[in-house]
Amino acid sequence: MTGDMRPRRGVASTLFPWLIPALALLAWVLAGRLELIPAYLFPPPGDVGQAALRYVFGSPGETPYAGRFLQDAGASLLRVGCGFFLAVAFGIPLGVLSGRLAPVQGLLGATVNGLRAVPGISWLPLAMVWFGIGMGTTVFLVALAAFFPVYLNAAAGARGVDPLLLQAGAMMGVRRFRGTFAILLPAAMPHIMTGLRLGLGLSWAYLVLGELTGVPDGLGAVIMDARMQGRIDIIVVGMILIAVMGRGSDLLLTSSLRLCFKSARRLS
Amino acid sequence: MRPRLRAVGMPSPGRAEPLLVVRDLRKMFPVAGRFVTVLDGLRFHAKEGELICILGRSGCGKSTLLKILAGFLAPSAGQVLLEGRPVDGPSPERCVVFQEDALFTWLTVGENIGFGLRVKGLDRTSRERAVERYLSLIGLTEFRDYLPQAISGGMKQRVSLARVLILEPRVLLMDEPFASLDAQTREEMQSLLLSLRRRLSQTILFVTHDVNEAATLADRILLMGKEPGWIRKDIAVTLPRPRAREDPAYIDLCSRLHRLVRD
Ligand SMILES: Nc1ncnc2c1ncn2[C@@H]1O[C@H](COP(=O)(O)OP(=O)(O)O)[C@@H](O)[C@H]1O
Ligand SMILES: [Mg+2]
Repeated sequence: MTGDMRPRRGVASTLFPWLIPALALLAWVLAGRLELIPAYLFPPPGDVGQAALRYVFGSPGETPYAGRFLQDAGASLLRVGCGFFLAVAFGIPLGVLSGRLAPVQGLLGATVNGLRAVPGISWLPLAMVWFGIGMGTTVFLVALAAFFPVYLNAAAGARGVDPLLLQAGAMMGVRRFRGTFAILLPAAMPHIMTGLRLGLGLSWAYLVLGELTGVPDGLGAVIMDARMQGRIDIIVVGMILIAVMGRGSDLLLTSSLRLCFKSARRLS
Repeated sequence: MRPRLRAVGMPSPGRAEPLLVVRDLRKMFPVAGRFVTVLDGLRFHAKEGELICILGRSGCGKSTLLKILAGFLAPSAGQVLLEGRPVDGPSPERCVVFQEDALFTWLTVGENIGFGLRVKGLDRTSRERAVERYLSLIGLTEFRDYLPQAISGGMKQRVSLARVLILEPRVLLMDEPFASLDAQTREEMQSLLLSLRRRLSQTILFVTHDVNEAATLADRILLMGKEPGWIRKDIAVTLPRPRAREDPAYIDLCSRLHRLVRD
């Protein structure tokens, strides 16, 4: 508990995790310099960096992709946000119910597992027929993909709650409704959090899938479009930015859970 | 501070019924397609302020009995009456201290202790005042803001005790609460329990398989027989308090209990 007792982290151990990325970057630079890989297949880091700067900070219209970042990121975030929200809105209540109530588990279990066996990608054609290209299809794919980990982890968490905790609550006067929020959800929080993080990660994957289908904006659309234009640098920029936004959204998710819930804040 | 006005161990001449009446209890569990009878014809009374130890070998049905008294399990036959009212489900008037710690890991020591009062809807100031009082009763004032994972097993059982004492239950039920503690801590906890019940006039039903523990704590010992479980013997313990382990009368009682438990 006391901060001063903790072993100090040296500079070496702070830098250690960056060793492999640094070596990879070095290899990338060298590969460009020594012309091991032709630039039209994989441009050197400098070119990619410049393309990234123009894409993010350039004024629109200056060059083909300049300054489009905000618009693309906004569109993608909206789609991920809506899809993930739907997955959470259905996944957590249904998961908790099926984790606690055998009839609900009996009703949903087989269906969910059956649907889960259908690869997410194979929903794409049907989704395009149902929802058309763009927002609808992408949100549907994201929601569908993120639902499963959210649901399954919420169910596992709720099922695994120590019955002793619920008994302890009952003897202290807790009724079912209150018990759900005061005991069940906090006790299941580690699982719920895992499910949310996995679901959010999948959301970004399926976002890209949905946006590859020819929508005008979004980070997935940019890398597909760049492929048609032969702009490898922009493809790489798009990939990096998707990774950055995915990681950023994960941090945002965990920190807002920590902010809102004691049980998330006090995870050991 | 909310004073408790119940007198300890006083025979209440005005009251016709004892505080707790357990009548012809039977409990059967379905096991592999048939019923196994775990308790049968179990009966006893408990008076206000008594500290009763229920002593029996492991597997004789002590925990099952306590779960029925707490309202976690329904009896297959028979009745449990608290102040004349039949027990029907868990309630803060019959609180349990479990053997395993059942604290809420996401709440601090203080929040765990205040949990029941919060459920009751008590306002924050009165709650905090009560929590402070019970923290000092269990000697953990400085640990109010610790999480359960950061305190020892003995401390956790103190917190488990405080979080139910604060609700002033009519009967406190304890299921081998000190069994998993080391010998020294167990002795400390026994003295703590005795001093708390002196100050709070708490009626306690204390389940144990430890003969010495029963001899140290009890006003009365109910000896349980097994297969199926029932109350074999009702022994009034008249040894003066505080009880010394070297006292020949204490040693006598222990060896008598040992013999009784064995056969
Ligand atoms: N839910 C249950 N289902 C079947 N058998 C049970 C159940 N609970 C307890 N028993 C059986 O009842 C007997 C008494 O158990 P218990 O009350 O835990 O004993 P004790 O606490 O005295 O050690 C044991 O033989 C145990 O196997
Ligand atoms: Mg037991």
